[in-house]
Amino acid sequence: MSGDAIVVGAGVNGLVAATYLARAGRKVLVLEAKDRLGGACQTTWFASSFRGPAIAHALTALDPRVVAELKLARRGLKFAVRDMPLVALRADGKHLTNGRDLRATARNIAVHSRADAETWPRFRRELFELARRMRPLWWSDGKSEIPSEIARLRRLSLAAWLDSRFESDAVKAALAGDAASLSPLAPGSSLLLLWRAAQEMCGLQGAAAIPLGGPGALVDALTAAAKIAGVEFRSGAHVSDIRVKDGAASGVVLDSGDEIPANVVLASFSRAGLLATKAGRTALGFSESVALERGVSPAASAKVMLALNAPPAFNGVAVPLRGRFLLADRLETFVAAHAASRAGRVPQELVLEVVVPTAGDPELAPLGQHVVSIRIGPLPRHVAGGWDAAKTPLAAKAVAALDRCASGLARHVVAAQVLTPDDIAARYGAEDSCAVTVERLLSDWSSRIRTPIKGLFLCSAASEPVDAVSGRAGRIAATLALREGAAK
Amino acid sequence: MRYDAAIIGAGAEGLAAAALLAGAGVKTIVVERSERAGGRATTREFHPGFRASPFADELPPIPADIHWALDLSRRGAIFRPAPTSTAIWPDRQSLLRARESGASSVHSFLRNAAERASDLRARATHDSNRAPQRSFFSRPAVPASWPCEDWMAASLAEVLAREIGDPDMEAHLAAAALRGWVADPFLPGSALHLLSLQRSGTVTGGLATLADALVSAAREAGAEISLGRDATDIRHAKGRVSGIGLADGSEIEARAVISTLDLKRTFLSFFQWNALPKEIVQAVGAFRMAGTTARVLFALDTVLPGAKRGAIYVAPDLEQLAAANSAWRSGTIAAHLPVALRVADDPSLAPAGSAVVTATFGAVPYRLFDGAWTREKRDALRKQALAALESAIPGASAHVVAAEVIAPPDIEEALGATDGDLAGGEIAADQMLSAGPWPDFPFPRSPFKGLYLAGSWLAMGATCAAGAAVARIVALDLAKGALK
Repeated sequence: MSGDAIVVGAGVNGLVAATYLARAGRKVLVLEAKDRLGGACQTTWFASSFRGPAIAHALTALDPRVVAELKLARRGLKFAVRDMPLVALRADGKHLTNGRDLRATARNIAVHSRADAETWPRFRRELFELARRMRPLWWSDGKSEIPSEIARLRRLSLAAWLDSRFESDAVKAALAGDAASLSPLAPGSSLLLLWRAAQEMCGLQGAAAIPLGGPGALVDALTAAAKIAGVEFRSGAHVSDIRVKDGAASGVVLDSGDEIPANVVLASFSRAGLLATKAGRTALGFSESVALERGVSPAASAKVMLALNAPPAFNGVAVPLRGRFLLADRLETFVAAHAASRAGRVPQELVLEVVVPTAGDPELAPLGQHVVSIRIGPLPRHVAGGWDAAKTPLAAKAVAALDRCASGLARHVVAAQVLTPDDIAARYGAEDSCAVTVERLLSDWSSRIRTPIKGLFLCSAASEPVDAVSGRAGRIAATLALREGAAK
Repeated sequence: MRYDAAIIGAGAEGLAAAALLAGAGVKTIVVERSERAGGRATTREFHPGFRASPFADELPPIPADIHWALDLSRRGAIFRPAPTSTAIWPDRQSLLRARESGASSVHSFLRNAAERASDLRARATHDSNRAPQRSFFSRPAVPASWPCEDWMAASLAEVLAREIGDPDMEAHLAAAALRGWVADPFLPGSALHLLSLQRSGTVTGGLATLADALVSAAREAGAEISLGRDATDIRHAKGRVSGIGLADGSEIEARAVISTLDLKRTFLSFFQWNALPKEIVQAVGAFRMAGTTARVLFALDTVLPGAKRGAIYVAPDLEQLAAANSAWRSGTIAAHLPVALRVADDPSLAPAGSAVVTATFGAVPYRLFDGAWTREKRDALRKQALAALESAIPGASAHVVAAEVIAPPDIEEALGATDGDLAGGEIAADQMLSAGPWPDFPFPRSPFKGLYLAGSWLAMGATCAAGAAVARIVALDLAKGALK
């Protein structure tokens, strides 16, 4: 079997890229190493009669152009929750709900600090306005001008930025929850908050949404769109190397030894992942290889899924169950968690992001029962003694932390699934991520997607400014591949 | 009596500024709270017969042009480059010989770091030439890129791993870069601390000799040095300063006031808060400062012939530096503080047959989570220093006859440094150079007309450089008639 274009990896970006290429008239073959499509974006049965999001439990960055151009709504993508408010859970019951209604949010903030409540509407307006001006850089492949304020923000740590605007720990921690992939003390971590604010879901800036049927529904819609466009799939096909002829990609080699020729290869590798292939190592050259190998490794995360036989009831003030719940008291919690994960220890205080998928989509569990999806991170990628030994204590700690804010929750757990960073890497191949840096956040797309090998493009989440389910890397990689193909 | 320039603080920067200004014909007075000039460039007897410089063993280099302009050698300040430093682990040791052995990666790395520091200084000079045009209340100007933009976003560990590649040498260099300070070596941005890896130096006879030389230079040039007078406030009206008020109730009228104190001390103790615009109070309040340094001075009744000269880092380790940083952030004294020992190699400091050893700790918090700096807590520092001394020079701790502990609150009291912060602010990309609190008024200027800042924190790793820079700008502004 031969194809003009091969897409390695059927994650969201791979599917998006394949569909765009096929719609432009290319013959496209998608190779997936696992049996199931979707990568990190799947809905799985984790206990009998309970389904839940495998890894990503809320979508925050899906490119609206991908949704519109691939007609995903017509292929069955519907949203169960379109705009999840962020709820910072506090041990004292004074939870802080940060929603779209500025006045309601300001009233919530006023419980913690009157001054912050006054600052909030102005801060959010400025943040969203500046974030919109960053969209040309973060959404499109063209060269774009970076707004002048960025020169200041890239030097500013999130902690310094928030400290200069807000006084209450609750507000600062709630905002930091959206920028948790860097330590809040790192310069440029404020750009993460800006990146998050630049995203759009369901037409709402900075929203988070859950598809009806879980994140797997997005992959189903993308797969349907790809099949209609004529994309062919082959699963269980692990690519071991890229064939290169005269400095240009000429095909891929599978583990089985089969070779599949192609003019264009779009691979869901990160740049560091490219080093695992012989062709990549040769093409990148010595100095870049060394720089990549010695580069900073990103923090990992773990996932806990709970099946409950009763709805979770949070102590204290009423909170909407369809929100995203954040458990982290202060900015210092994030700082300490990042420091501990770098040192290879499980942090003393875990940072948890909790979603109750059944709040908007009751079909995922039997009637009256609920699914709670917990993301724990940052965590070290490896711990002393191995993750297998640390697995149960980690889950117990997370459930205990959640139980403090929703007493009785632990008693209602009827089944649970725990995925440590090791499990996530083994099952979903999400090993291949790349640390977020200021450089990555502010470089243009083509420098992250293009490779020294002509006709080889990288379209994994690592090619995005921040790892996220957006489909943008796939869309832009396909555009670049087509543009280069046309020039040939 | 009206002066052209009044300088608050007779430290190295203040004295250098006074000497240069007076030399340029500017009528100058220096006001110093303590009875002795010098600031941290001081040497005192801490035990009968034993002398040491309590706040630093070494000072960053004095740029050659300033050294010659002030004729410091003739005045007795013989600057000696600090000897090679050593790192000692219980089972091995590493010598920072790089400076001597030409070709190694360490050598080129150190040269690179020194070049970057001097590029940054050049950039600071360039920035300070930009005259303020806009008001403090306008939107901030954009800081253009810097010579050190890549280190701003990189971690210390990452840069060292890339450039050095030898774990022992990396730990050694990290300890040297963070000597007396604190930072998480794995946190992006901590690479900026590597800029401090330049060749510092000592002065024969102790750092006080330098202070004496600077005083003589300033007096000879015609500057008035007024010791034992405590400035309490900066007089100002309509956004421009007119002089300083003193504790004894008198007032010194001056067209320009130069504060060599840190940013917070300058604005929050010399001005009444409600008299300052809210934006300035906020910007100054948001400026991050924190004490990190503690010192222990030891008097020994024996000589230490075999001891290494230069700084001795005891068991440096990146993970341990990170752990010390976490402890420091939570207000505790880490179990293993990063420590640098130095055996004084100047025979004039100790009586014959005896020795002075100083220990410099980093990551020592100013505010402890469990209350004040009590005698027990100082004792804990002394014990850590003794243990370090014993592991570096076996048998030496038995000869200790006296020890003095200098904790961050002592530094604050003696030098007026806010929270005992000798660096004058956290070394971070967002509070350096033109990214500081008021981008439109590049240092040494401030939002007040006639008020200039010249603390050692603005010297960017060079002694007297901030004083020289402020002298140039003030002389220029006076000549332009901007301060009538």
